[in-house]
Amino acid sequence: MTIPVKVHTTIVIGAGFTGLGTAIKLREAGIEDLVILERADRVGGTWRDATYPGAACDIPSQLYSFSFAKNPNWSRTYSPSAEICAHIEELAARFDLVKDIQFNTEVTKLEFEKREARWAVSAGPTTYYARTVVIASGPLSDASLPSIRGIDEYQGAKILSARWDHDVDLAGKSVAVIGTGASAVQIIPEMVKVAASVKVFQRTPGWVLPRANRRTPAVTKAVFERLPIVQQGARAALFLGHEAAATGLVWNTPITTLIQQVGKLHLRVAVKDKWLRRQLTPDFRAGCKRMLMSSDYYPALQRDNCKLITWPIATMTPEGIQTSDGLRHEVDAVVFATGYDVHLDGPPYPITGIDGQSLQEEWSGHPQAYKSASVHGYPNLFFTCGPNSGPGHNSLLVYVQGQIEYAVSGIRAVVEQDLRWLDVKKTVQDKYNVSMQKRLRSTTWMSGCASWYLTADGFNASMYPGFATQYLRQMQDFRLRDYEVASHAAQRLWNIPADASLQAVG
Amino acid sequence: MAMDMDEMLQKIKDRQWALAEIDWEAPGAETISEEFKPKLKAFMADLCWIENVGARGFAAMAKKAPTPTIAEIYRYFHAEEQRHANAELALLKRWGMLEEGEIPEPNVNIRMAIEWLDTYADDMPLSVLGTVIPMLEVALDGALLKFLLEEVHDPVCHQVFEKINNDESRHIAVDFEVLDMIGHAKARKLAIDFVSNVATPGLIIGALMYIPLLNRIRNNLVDMGLQPEKLYRAMDRFEKLGNRGEYTHRVPLFQVLRVHAAMVVNPQHPYHLLANSMVALSERYPRALFRPIPSWFRELTYEPVTRSVKKGMNAA
Repeated sequence: MTIPVKVHTTIVIGAGFTGLGTAIKLREAGIEDLVILERADRVGGTWRDATYPGAACDIPSQLYSFSFAKNPNWSRTYSPSAEICAHIEELAARFDLVKDIQFNTEVTKLEFEKREARWAVSAGPTTYYARTVVIASGPLSDASLPSIRGIDEYQGAKILSARWDHDVDLAGKSVAVIGTGASAVQIIPEMVKVAASVKVFQRTPGWVLPRANRRTPAVTKAVFERLPIVQQGARAALFLGHEAAATGLVWNTPITTLIQQVGKLHLRVAVKDKWLRRQLTPDFRAGCKRMLMSSDYYPALQRDNCKLITWPIATMTPEGIQTSDGLRHEVDAVVFATGYDVHLDGPPYPITGIDGQSLQEEWSGHPQAYKSASVHGYPNLFFTCGPNSGPGHNSLLVYVQGQIEYAVSGIRAVVEQDLRWLDVKKTVQDKYNVSMQKRLRSTTWMSGCASWYLTADGFNASMYPGFATQYLRQMQDFRLRDYEVASHAAQRLWNIPADASLQAVG
Repeated sequence: MAMDMDEMLQKIKDRQWALAEIDWEAPGAETISEEFKPKLKAFMADLCWIENVGARGFAAMAKKAPTPTIAEIYRYFHAEEQRHANAELALLKRWGMLEEGEIPEPNVNIRMAIEWLDTYADDMPLSVLGTVIPMLEVALDGALLKFLLEEVHDPVCHQVFEKINNDESRHIAVDFEVLDMIGHAKARKLAIDFVSNVATPGLIIGALMYIPLLNRIRNNLVDMGLQPEKLYRAMDRFEKLGNRGEYTHRVPLFQVLRVHAAMVVNPQHPYHLLANSMVALSERYPRALFRPIPSWFRELTYEPVTRSVKKGMNAA
């Protein structure tokens, strides 16, 4: 006797901002039968894990939140990570989502079962089934130590920025920080306040723009609380301001040069020494790598207990770091502010499609999807933060909101039209990607720098070449005709075998 | 066959060494006689500063390297020249020629070179820097270092310079490979680069700086007992190595430096009247006109290991 398994309408992978946002919108669309699989023991995702000193978002909080679940009480323009995490927890409580979350459940495998037209989602020994799946495991959820020569020989404390070890007390210690990216510019100003000495090892300087991080006055919070339309207006203004920046940060234009001039002026005002300015001047177009937002990074570097070192790291030694100028730097702890493992080749668990093909293999060269959300051969599966969905100028959550809306439209189609599956047509996906790559050519990301946006051979499978407004418009437009669909009704009517090939009915 | 730059970069990364690997207290320092010390100190100071100046040259070249791999190689070469300068300072310290925290004074021609580099180097095209740097490296590698090893019998000094020589041989190999790449460019581009720079203040002042610098070193060496032929042989190497390249001869500045080198190596050439009077004139250059020494110049140190932050140990 076979025990019938429970097949959910939807499985959402991840209980961070994206996963919870998806659940809220699915419920709103009347889809109640869902389960959220979360590898940790609480919600929060990247913001639960990013607890390094100074951790905060670098997009104003009013914009770094969902428009359908606003928070009138952000304490500052750019909120610290603990407050963002608390907001995510508050969302889970406000929308009563916790009951649907399976904590401590790390997804290990996804497989589409064609005969049953369902996804089998394995998490260790347990398998969950669902008609549809939304991958909301985030682009920046994994991090590991970088491959630096001699790293295993180093005997001091090794701290990864993305997984900060709070048991290590750095007060009065000599500390090295490797990396000068988005995390580092937040960590270093905090480090110089407590450590005896901070040596910052830089490979490539980034463009740093000043960031005015003001405390939100109580009266503003009160107005936002009572008049949500005012808060909506503030959000809209911020949105448009960021959209305008796309003309210089997305596309390589004279505005890009203007942004660089602002960056240079910031450097000129903040740093007196000519050589230090040269060391901190980027040699790539603004926007090509992630913009850095900080007003306290440059002052921190110039403190008496801080030093910028631009010599290449030759090797790590048991006591510290050896640079190519022949010197050894002994330190008590090394902070690796070296970013995240960005999975350009798909989520870090195997995904098997309708004909047994592997997504990781298909994506190992040049990943591609349709509207960043659907991939041919992987029916009823919706990606968030998928290929070519990244913003270079606006809030990630604005884009995520579009992705959620798209996934919900697709799932509604499956449910309301009683579909076995919907699978994006290959021709549609190919045409979309030809257009993406063509449009990407004139962007700053393709202006010649090496960044984590690009694969090793320089293919851009991560960024969306356009305004957020354009992206949102395409995500609001879910077209069933772009998909090959198979319906339960047709199968029953014509007595088609369950594993017959797809047929277009759109 | 063209050099595989990726392989070269890997080799460079694999052969990094540190000052701490050398026992600076090992016996041998006593082999330096008291009467030789002042001359050796002046020689080593020049050498050390020239390495530092070369380092700054590589920093400028990294900004205009033709490929990312070569840019990365220059980033290492910049650091390696600094390493050589640090190691040479450590030798000075070992020989008791430096007080605690003392850094030898750069001579007036070095000061001029510093000013020039700081003002113009970053704006010079690769075809200029890529030709001048090999000339300096060849002269250094061929003459100064060989001379030093003949005169100084301290085993630690030999150990240090064996390491430095190994690094320099890689520098020279890459330098001439890139010079050949520069020569491969369209003749029109070479001509434009050359003509558009020959009349710039950068290159004119550069020449005014370079001529007395080279002659001062030549004169100092001769004063110390170096047969000038050794320097000349080294400068001949510039032409020989350049001529091995298929396209190097097409670089106009290479031809200029080649002809210039031929004048330098000929002691009877009237050129020396001009060059030596420029050395004398530069001695009279008012020191007050120099801008403050840039901070990159203050990063040299003889301390192999540091724990705390020291912002330029020789900083005022």
